[in-house]
Amino acid sequence: MKLPSTNLVNALIGKAILETLLVGSLAIIGFLMVLPPSFHGWGEVTDHGVAGWAVNSGSPWERVEVQLFVDGKFFATQVANGSRPDVPSALWALDEWHGYAFEINSLSAGEHEARVYALRTSRQATKKSLQQVGTPIPFIVGTDGIFRKPPGRIDEGWRR
Amino acid sequence: MASFESRLEESMRAGVVKTSREQLPAGVERWLPLWEIASVVTSCLIAEWAVFVFIGRNKLIMAIPIGLAFALMLYSHWERGEGLRDIGLRVDNFVASCRLLFIPTALAVILIVTFGWLTSHGDFGAPWRWRFVALPVWALLQQYVLNGFINRRAQMALGAGAKGIALIAIAFSILHLPSPLLALLTLGAGITWGFVYQRAPNLYALALSHSAVSLTLALTISPYWLNGLRVGFKYFG
Repeated sequence: MKLPSTNLVNALIGKAILETLLVGSLAIIGFLMVLPPSFHGWGEVTDHGVAGWAVNSGSPWERVEVQLFVDGKFFATQVANGSRPDVPSALWALDEWHGYAFEINSLSAGEHEARVYALRTSRQATKKSLQQVGTPIPFIVGTDGIFRKPPGRIDEGWRR
Repeated sequence: MASFESRLEESMRAGVVKTSREQLPAGVERWLPLWEIASVVTSCLIAEWAVFVFIGRNKLIMAIPIGLAFALMLYSHWERGEGLRDIGLRVDNFVASCRLLFIPTALAVILIVTFGWLTSHGDFGAPWRWRFVALPVWALLQQYVLNGFINRRAQMALGAGAKGIALIAIAFSILHLPSPLLALLTLGAGITWGFVYQRAPNLYALALSHSAVSLTLALTISPYWLNGLRVGFKYFG
C-alpha cells in the first residue's frame, strides 16, 4: 500500500465540479418540467367577469386549462379555447382559439382582485402546478353589479 | 494527543498504510481521507435527495452520482495500492469476524422482533418480497462503502478507535435520514460494524449481519415505523 499522489486531489476536485454541474442541471430541468416559462396570457375585467387568453408557446396548438382565483380563493376553471383573433395577429399563437371568459356572480360590491393561472400537468400526471398568466386584475363591483376597472388602469400592455 | 506522524507510523505497522509518503504535502495528506469520505457521502445524498426532488424516480440519473462515487473509491484504492484483501474481501478472518458479530446481531434481531411484536400486537403481517433475495448483495455493497472505504479512510485520518467509529456511524446514520427510527438504528449499527471491522476486517461477515438485521426489520416492523425502509426524499412518498 502506498500514499496517494496529487492525482487523487485532482479526481476529488473533478468529481465535485461534475456533481455541482449535475445538481445545477437537475434544478433547472426539474423547474422547467414542473413550471415551464412557456405560458403567456392576459386578462381584463368585463361587465360581469374576467376575460382574456392563454397560450403555451412550447405547445402552440394546446388549449391551456386556466383557473380563476378571486381575492385569493379558487373560483372556477375552464379550457381557454374561445375565439380571440387578436392573439395570432399579435403573434402570440398560431390560431385564434385561446380565449377564456369567466362570468363572476355573487361578489359583494367593492374592490376585488382576480388572478388567472395556467394549469400544468407533469411527471406522468403526478404533479400539477399553477402559473399566473398576465398580471393581477384589480376591479371594482359597483352597487349596480357592473364590474369596472379601477381609475387610471390601462390593459393594452400585452400587444406585441 | 498523538501527532499525525505517529498515527501514520502506527497505521503503517497495523497494515493500513505500508509505504513512505510521497508527493502530497503533509497538510493535504492528513485531510485527504476526510475529503474522500465527504465526497462519497455527498454523492449518496445527491442520489437520495436531489435527484428525487428535481427529477423524481429516475434510476439512470441516480446512477450518475453513485457511479462517480464508485469511480472515486476504486481510483482511491488504486492510488493507495489497496487490494481486495486490504479492504476486507477475504475469507481468512471470516470466522473471527462472525464470532465478534454473532452476539450484537442476535441481540439486534431479538430487540427488533420484540419491538415489532409489541407494536403490531403479535401480527407481523409484512409480506415476503422476492427482492429480499438480493439483500446480501445490497448489504455487501453498503458494507464495502461503509467499512471497506469510509472506515479505512477514517482510520487513516483519525486513527483506529472511537473517533473513526463515531465518524462512520454518523455518516451511516445521515444517509438514512429522514426516517428517525432508521437513523437511530443505523447509528447503533454503524458503531457495532465499525468496531468489528477495525478488529477483523471482513466484509462478507458484515454483509451477513447486515442482511439478517435488514430482513428482520423488513419482515417484523410495521411500515408506520419504517415506511418500507425508504430513505432520502423517497421517504415522504
